Amino acid sequence: MSKQSRSWPSFLAERPTPWEPSADVYRTKDGWLVKFDLAGVQIGDVAVTIRGRRLTIGGVRRDSFLEEGSSYYSMEISYNRFERSLLMPANLENARVTIVAREGLLLVRMITEGNENV
Amino acid sequence: MSEQPVVYTLPVLPLKSAVLFPYLLMPLSAGRPASIAAVEAALATESKEILVFTQRDPDVDSPTKDDLYSIGTKAVIRKMNRSGEGHLELMVLGMERVTLMKLDTSEPFLQGRAVPLPLPEDKGPEIEALQGALVELAGEALTLSQPNTPQELRGLIASNDDPMRLTFVLSAMFSLDAEKCQSLLEAPTRAEALRMLHRYLMHEVQVLELRNKITTEARSEMGKEQRDYLLRQQMRAIQQELGEKDGEHAEAQQLRERLEKADLPEDILKEAKRELDRLEKLPPSAPDYNVIRTYLDYVLELPWKKSTEDSLDIARARQVLDEDHFALKDVKERILEHLGVLKLNPNAKAPILCFVGPPGVGKTSLGQSIARALNRKFERMSLGGLHDEAELRGHRRTYIGALPGRVIQAMRRAGANNPVLMLDEVDKLGHDFRGDPAHALLEILDPEQNKTFRDNYLDLPFDLSKVLFVTTANALDTIPRPLLDRMEILRLAGYSEEEKLEIAKRYLIPKQLKETGLTVEQCVLPDETVRKIISGYTREAGLRRLERAIGGVTRKVALKFAEGAIGPFTVTLPELEEMLGPEPFNQEEARRDLPAGVATGLAWTETGGDVLYIEGTLLPDGKGLTLTGQLGEVMQESVKAAQSYIWSHASDFDIDPSLFKSSGVHVHVPAGAIPKDGPSAGVTMATALTSLYTKLPARSDVAMTGEITLTGLVLPIGGIKEKVLAARRAGIHTVIMPKANQKDLRDLPEEVRKEMEFIFAQRVEDVLQTAIPQLSERMNANKTRPIIHAA
Repeated sequence: MSKQSRSWPSFLAERPTPWEPSADVYRTKDGWLVKFDLAGVQIGDVAVTIRGRRLTIGGVRRDSFLEEGSSYYSMEISYNRFERSLLMPANLENARVTIVAREGLLLVRMITEGNENV
Repeated sequence: MSEQPVVYTLPVLPLKSAVLFPYLLMPLSAGRPASIAAVEAALATESKEILVFTQRDPDVDSPTKDDLYSIGTKAVIRKMNRSGEGHLELMVLGMERVTLMKLDTSEPFLQGRAVPLPLPEDKGPEIEALQGALVELAGEALTLSQPNTPQELRGLIASNDDPMRLTFVLSAMFSLDAEKCQSLLEAPTRAEALRMLHRYLMHEVQVLELRNKITTEARSEMGKEQRDYLLRQQMRAIQQELGEKDGEHAEAQQLRERLEKADLPEDILKEAKRELDRLEKLPPSAPDYNVIRTYLDYVLELPWKKSTEDSLDIARARQVLDEDHFALKDVKERILEHLGVLKLNPNAKAPILCFVGPPGVGKTSLGQSIARALNRKFERMSLGGLHDEAELRGHRRTYIGALPGRVIQAMRRAGANNPVLMLDEVDKLGHDFRGDPAHALLEILDPEQNKTFRDNYLDLPFDLSKVLFVTTANALDTIPRPLLDRMEILRLAGYSEEEKLEIAKRYLIPKQLKETGLTVEQCVLPDETVRKIISGYTREAGLRRLERAIGGVTRKVALKFAEGAIGPFTVTLPELEEMLGPEPFNQEEARRDLPAGVATGLAWTETGGDVLYIEGTLLPDGKGLTLTGQLGEVMQESVKAAQSYIWSHASDFDIDPSLFKSSGVHVHVPAGAIPKDGPSAGVTMATALTSLYTKLPARSDVAMTGEITLTGLVLPIGGIKEKVLAARRAGIHTVIMPKANQKDLRDLPEEVRKEMEFIFAQRVEDVLQTAIPQLSERMNANKTRPIIHAA
């Protein structure tokens, strides 16, 4: 019995495959801004899709700071594929989307200019 | 997805006894240098990917391709930490199923080439059904293994819509062994995986059920005693609530109260208190509890000091004894004597009496009337056939179901320590390997020892010295000497015809009339009829058959009344014969005109006396002495003594000595089937042989008894009363008996004495002179000897 209780947290600890970055959602004057905690991710490795109210961001974080002759002592940051899906308050299919990477954050701005089908 | 074949070339992490499933995050520990190197190599890549394969044999340290299952999982290392022991603690996330194509063992770590092995896209009702069944089964298994599983977890299982993820989650949850996990991972289709898992879980459920059952049973086993204890506590609480005293202590308390009230001797009280203390310490369920309780009950109920007050009114006692029994003067006197002694010395030891006599003479009922006369309790026990000493003395308490012996039980029933205790049939005690009850009786019946009689069960000294023991026996010869020695023998000989007639008139006829519902006026039994019943129908020393015969007559009379006849009836002799049939006994008439060689003897039997003929005949050309008729050793010897005496006195009797040489002698004593023994036929033998050798017949109206010696002395014998009565019954009115037995005649009823003629002999010659008249003439010619006649 103790065997089983020990193994539960292993699959409950995190939402498995792939990892999910944290996100903040802002209401802006002309639309919506979603801020993702995605440091070390190249903008080319990220894909954003919008289906109705659902905003999905997916991609890969590659470990690009590998120095010759060094090795890990410990690792906590998740690499490799990530994916995050958010249900937005409004249908944003027709919004104009821009993606900017700044200071370790990935900013996804959706401009609707009030033209939203909430 | 398959534009071009994807091949992963990645470090390989071999797992010893675990399987990493896709979709699942799994903590792993890498300790082997090759594993650590593989992890470090994987971490040195941008994507942190690694191949995870399970070893077929967990004991292999440096696995090759053949040591690994070929189907494994491509994974991403999520977290890594070094533990103190140089191990790497990993958090690994399974990504997708892969097949290992090639394994390169040349590097410090394993390097593998693997291709994805996706499942074919199968969906449909079967998978949905399997999925549903699995969720249900998993719920069941969870309930069994972990009854307090959080509800969210169950929700999580149910919400897993991806069948593979469900499969993997569940197999991890129930910690299926590595082999089963591997086969799940290798399942060719989703449906197959679901089915497989269903089978595994089913097994799991069964194992869990069994385990639960075993645990429950074990628990209930252990808990039984505690449960009993708890229930008992509750019962006590309930009893207290109800105002009842709590059970076990109430019992002990009750016993204590009784103990305080009971008037026990000092040492008995001490012992009883000790037992009670033990009882209080025991739970009622202890096996000893009941044993001690029963024991205490017994101790409390025994009449340690309690005795009934004797009625010392001698006149009343005499009246009671006379009311119940006719005649039996000796016994009555002895009882009254004891009463007299008690009057003067209340602490006198009670005598131990033994009534000896034929059946039906009233031994047992006499005991009852003694108790009545003395106003004591009466207890009776039959010792006939008793062959176990423990019956008398009890079993020790260590035996299951042990009880005190019969003596102590009788004392308890009597409720007084001075009852009349009748031990019936003391001559019929048996004995076997379990002991001899007669030996136990020795202690019980010894006035010196029975003051402290120790029953095995009680193990306390009980005073039996106040008990008036009365034993009964039909014969004394089977009673062991030491036992006989302790008792005062009182003989109850058979009754004479007159006594029987009197007893019948006074007791038996009224009793039988009462039983049949007749009045004294309705049915009259004249003396003549009763006499006929006594002599013709019931030849016995006692009265039982007489009573039955009278009962038969009264019933027949009662039947006549019932059929409408109008009384009163007087039963005359012809009517008697009609009622009881022809006489079963012919009047035992004396043989008339005895031939030479036959003499009339008298014998004592257990049922009274009997007339006995001794027949002798000469065997011309025969040799020696032949004896027949079941003669015992003593009797055979007395024949020889008689013969020797006659041979040595041949000249006195004018016997031709050549006869002794030329002829043998055969002596027969009818009835041949009945064994006979004893010396008392000596004179009869001598008479028969003398008559035989002299060819002079003996008188047929004379019967004789007495032992002889080789020198011709006549010695006293026993049973005079019975023998005389038997002679009288047979119509013989002259009895020759030893002079020394003259005193016994006072036992005979007056009228018998008047009717009979007694000749008291001191020597054989006295006998012969009376018995063979012609010889007496011959002898008188030689010399004269005095003959003593009765007054």
